[in-house]
Amino acid sequence: MKRAAILTLAVLFVLFVGAALAFAVFQPIKVLPRIRLAPGFAMTDQSGARLTNESLRGSIVVYNYIYTGCGQGCAKSMQTLGEVQSALAGLNTGGIPVKLVSIALDPANDTSPAMSAYAQAYQANPSVWRIATLTDTTLLKTIVGGGFEVYYQPKEDGSYALDQVFTLVDGWGIIRGEYRYSALTSDSDRILKHIGVLVEEVQKSVGAARLAYEAAHLFMCYAP
Amino acid sequence: MRKNLFLMIGVILAAALGLYLGFTFLRPYAFHGTVLQGSEPVKDFTLTSMHGQPVKLSDFQDKIVVLYFGYTFCPDVCPTTLSEIKKALALLGPAASEFQVIMITVDPERDTPAVLNEYMAQFDPGFLGLTGTVSEIQNIAAPFGVYFAKQADPSSAQYLMEHTASVLVINRKGALKLLWPYGTPAADMADDLRYLLRSN
Repeated sequence: MKRAAILTLAVLFVLFVGAALAFAVFQPIKVLPRIRLAPGFAMTDQSGARLTNESLRGSIVVYNYIYTGCGQGCAKSMQTLGEVQSALAGLNTGGIPVKLVSIALDPANDTSPAMSAYAQAYQANPSVWRIATLTDTTLLKTIVGGGFEVYYQPKEDGSYALDQVFTLVDGWGIIRGEYRYSALTSDSDRILKHIGVLVEEVQKSVGAARLAYEAAHLFMCYAP
Repeated sequence: MRKNLFLMIGVILAAALGLYLGFTFLRPYAFHGTVLQGSEPVKDFTLTSMHGQPVKLSDFQDKIVVLYFGYTFCPDVCPTTLSEIKKALALLGPAASEFQVIMITVDPERDTPAVLNEYMAQFDPGFLGLTGTVSEIQNIAAPFGVYFAKQADPSSAQYLMEHTASVLVINRKGALKLLWPYGTPAADMADDLRYLLRSN
């Protein structure tokens, strides 16, 4: 009897440790880290309409950071979002809206007409891709510098020192991806792949599967 | 031979029962709220309490802080949320003393310390209301994903505040750990708080 009990405990132990190890090693489910909360904001977009983080709740959002006088400095970043916008048309997101937001950092010059012209230059579809700014530069710095952790600084010649960054935010307003430089994979490919990972998590992380997804977060099974 | 067969069946049945019980009782806790994995402490801030004294977030390092951004003239969302938080703490019994509920007003124009004091006392004398300038509060709220703005109320000459209604939970290390969307029931909040307390 005693032998049977020991054997049972041993089997249980091996099963548990084996299952945990298998999950950690083989990572059957990939997720994106929940990095931190995206900042709250209320901005004005290229059409003069208000854009808030609350109005984006429920949508997956990709942000980049630009100013309309940026010229070639922001061209690559805008082209990348343009590629994402084009690819979204063929992406099955299961009804989860995906939006793009370019935050303009120079409110004195990034007026609605200037942002509108800028959006048109990059063929931004206003139902998907909005360019927005905020007149209170201190609050804008808190939101972009503090919340999104993107460095930017006005220079004496009127231009800006600006890090080229993309930020991926989920429907709960949590930052799930930060893309600070181009790696071997192009930024748009990586962003699109990660949008797919988020969509899959939203669709599949229900019922008992939610536990498996939470375990994937616990074991840091992060998508590359 | 027969004895060995019974033993094997017994082991298999016991293992199956053990697995069932293990997965039922030992499975990782799944929070009702959304978990944030960062361990960096949130930026400290100072505001004025409903008692007229300056208060820092770091003053509550020995507590788990339940943080909410609302206002006293709020018609429904804020009182409902604060009531649910109160119910959640009641479900925790004596362990409720391990938590500090803080509401930062998003309407400092009307929510003076005296107004906040009267309002918060209606829920729980231990709840703390904080106020400051609009700019101070905006700078504190934004990194928490909270937005607020005045909104005209067509039914009166007064105004309402449009604001993010999530509840945030900050652990003893000062890191933001949990986010409850508006409408999270008290029982779910209590479950999450109980687990946070155990894991702290």
